[in-house]
Amino acid sequence: MTLELKIGWLYPTLMSTYGDRGNVIALQQRAQWRGIKVEVIPFDVNSHPDSIHQIDMMAGGGAQDRQQEIVMRDLAGAKAEAIKAKLDAGAPGVFTCGSPQLLGRFYEPGLGERIEGMGIIDLESKHPGIDVPRCTGNVVFEITAKRLAAELTELLGGKKPIIVGFENHGGRTYLGPNAEALGTVIKGFGNNATDGTEGAFYCNAIATYSHGPLIPKNPFIADWMIKTALQDKYQTEINLAPLDDSLADRARAAMLKRLEISD
Amino acid sequence: MQINLLDRVRLGIAVFAAKTITETIRTFKLGAASVLPGTIGKRLHPQILAMLSQQIKHGVIIVAGTNGKTTTSLLLRDILEKDGWKVVHNEAGANLVNGLITTLLEKTSLTGKLKADFGILEVDENVIPLVIPQLKPKYVIALNLFRDQLDRYGEVDTITYRWGKAIAELDCDTILVTNGDDPALAHLGQQLATGDKPKQVKYFGLSEPELYLDEIPHAVDSIYCPSCGTALEYKGVYLSHQGDFDCPKCDFTKSKLSIDSKEWPQVLIGVYNKYNTLAAVTTMESIGISKPIILNAISNFQAAFGRSEEVMYKGKKVRILLTKNPASMNETIRAISQVNQAGSESVSLMLLNDRTPDGTDVSWIWDVDTEKFVNAGGTIVVSGDRVYDMALRLEYSKTDLNSGANIIVKEDLKEAIDTAIKLTAPNQILHIIPTYSAMLDVREILTGKKIL
Repeated sequence: MTLELKIGWLYPTLMSTYGDRGNVIALQQRAQWRGIKVEVIPFDVNSHPDSIHQIDMMAGGGAQDRQQEIVMRDLAGAKAEAIKAKLDAGAPGVFTCGSPQLLGRFYEPGLGERIEGMGIIDLESKHPGIDVPRCTGNVVFEITAKRLAAELTELLGGKKPIIVGFENHGGRTYLGPNAEALGTVIKGFGNNATDGTEGAFYCNAIATYSHGPLIPKNPFIADWMIKTALQDKYQTEINLAPLDDSLADRARAAMLKRLEISD
Repeated sequence: MQINLLDRVRLGIAVFAAKTITETIRTFKLGAASVLPGTIGKRLHPQILAMLSQQIKHGVIIVAGTNGKTTTSLLLRDILEKDGWKVVHNEAGANLVNGLITTLLEKTSLTGKLKADFGILEVDENVIPLVIPQLKPKYVIALNLFRDQLDRYGEVDTITYRWGKAIAELDCDTILVTNGDDPALAHLGQQLATGDKPKQVKYFGLSEPELYLDEIPHAVDSIYCPSCGTALEYKGVYLSHQGDFDCPKCDFTKSKLSIDSKEWPQVLIGVYNKYNTLAAVTTMESIGISKPIILNAISNFQAAFGRSEEVMYKGKKVRILLTKNPASMNETIRAISQVNQAGSESVSLMLLNDRTPDGTDVSWIWDVDTEKFVNAGGTIVVSGDRVYDMALRLEYSKTDLNSGANIIVKEDLKEAIDTAIKLTAPNQILHIIPTYSAMLDVREILTGKKIL
């Protein structure tokens, strides 16, 4: 039986300023190289809310403030509910760069008024003003969200899940009492440059400011997403064939060495 | 322009101080002195840019855009010099305020007199609104606007808006030469051609549908109507978002081009250099330079450093193609693929750095459509500060892991160059695709001398 995987790509033209397409490419390739049939389905301004039901996992990237505003207005209502239902049902998701802000309660841009988010995760994001420097630079953090950390550690054969990425965000994100942080910052700014948290984890959705993009240098995220999505879809244990990730390993090692962090 | 006595004295002091600095820096080999003299000159006379530039007899030509400024400026200069004019030009590419002042100071006498017929100044896109009121250019060339270094500048439409505001204040005899295939810049031209102080607007662009791309590249910014926001309809795309567009909702559409691209040869390789050539030709024709002079300059054109520049190294021919952003990398690899079509055993060297002049955020390489390039085969050697990021981008472009280009990773730049040179056949050209700082590094190794 050929396995099939449908990847929903949120607003590919409006929300793809920072190379976040790399996550979609990496998810698609890592599935296809293992003989899984992949379809990438764009979910954008013209999409019907119901079209989200057919997908097995979703990915969203970053945008500039103006584009993000268009997206957040478009998401209000039926589309937000459809996405929430999908994530609540356990569909894996990867929301990077600016898109975690969409999942939260609101975003206050550097200029202009507060925009309501989908309210799926208990977090809020604020831009401290256009004259305040952005949080830009290489970022390293350890995934600490309990269930995810355990599953990734198993996938990595006992090694801690350390993410190596790049962050470039003006907004600062603050987690509410009902949100679980994705990880703890080892190097970089993280959610808000003060509390040491990075990102959020909700059901099977990963939200993080880390781009660069996220997945190519942290391919275990892709494998976990593919495995999780397929197991849920086919209701059977899925074991993915290993791929040669030596290039990603060397990319990680080079950056950790540059930042003087021991692996 | 009349300069009163007091200003003349202050200008003289500023010029004298700044020029002394240049001498000192160069005598003691402290650098190229392409910016510091301007900093000092501006301290001593805040209006120095205006006072110097307004002495230029036939005025200043500003060259603006994300990509192609250096090549276009150089071609403009070649043409004007072939026609016998005296030109002042920021050839070292120092295109921020102090770099512009330094350029003008070079040609200024100790009494503050600047003798030149034309000024050709390439100007950084964000500095344009700042310097236009002082330079009062006679010509403004708007080449293109693409998504550039993400850690540096923001949004493309904000930049267009600010350009428009600054140009609108200029006199009516100002000529705007704008890219008619670029929706945002065509719209800019249409707006500036009307209003209180209408400008003369010339549009350059392509009329060669056989050059249409198969599909719109991913890294596209302006595919929405600049007037009403509706998605534009394209009959065809030449490069990024530049093409034959029309708004299905409002009356925004392309303006008639002032030039027929089929009538002109181009400098260097690639569709992007076709645009640079057409921008220069359109400007020169409106100044009144004759066609034979322009054609002569085009056919004898020598590339600016790193911009499709050809050098010999260890007996092999090497072409260096600077690449700065998704649009330029898309176009560079497209041009190389066209050159390579003849022979199959092509070798390329890709160099990705993440220093300040390159932009520290290299995630943009994932917005480049590298798939065709990689799956066409050949060998790609990779190096630079971010060698593994580049290698991963290429690896993930492979439709099938066992086919496509042979990707060779070399952390050490010298080793990477030697490997690529060895693999290049005697009758082939090695194409080097570096980001800015990598271009300076690679050039130093290939030519044995530092440029900046």
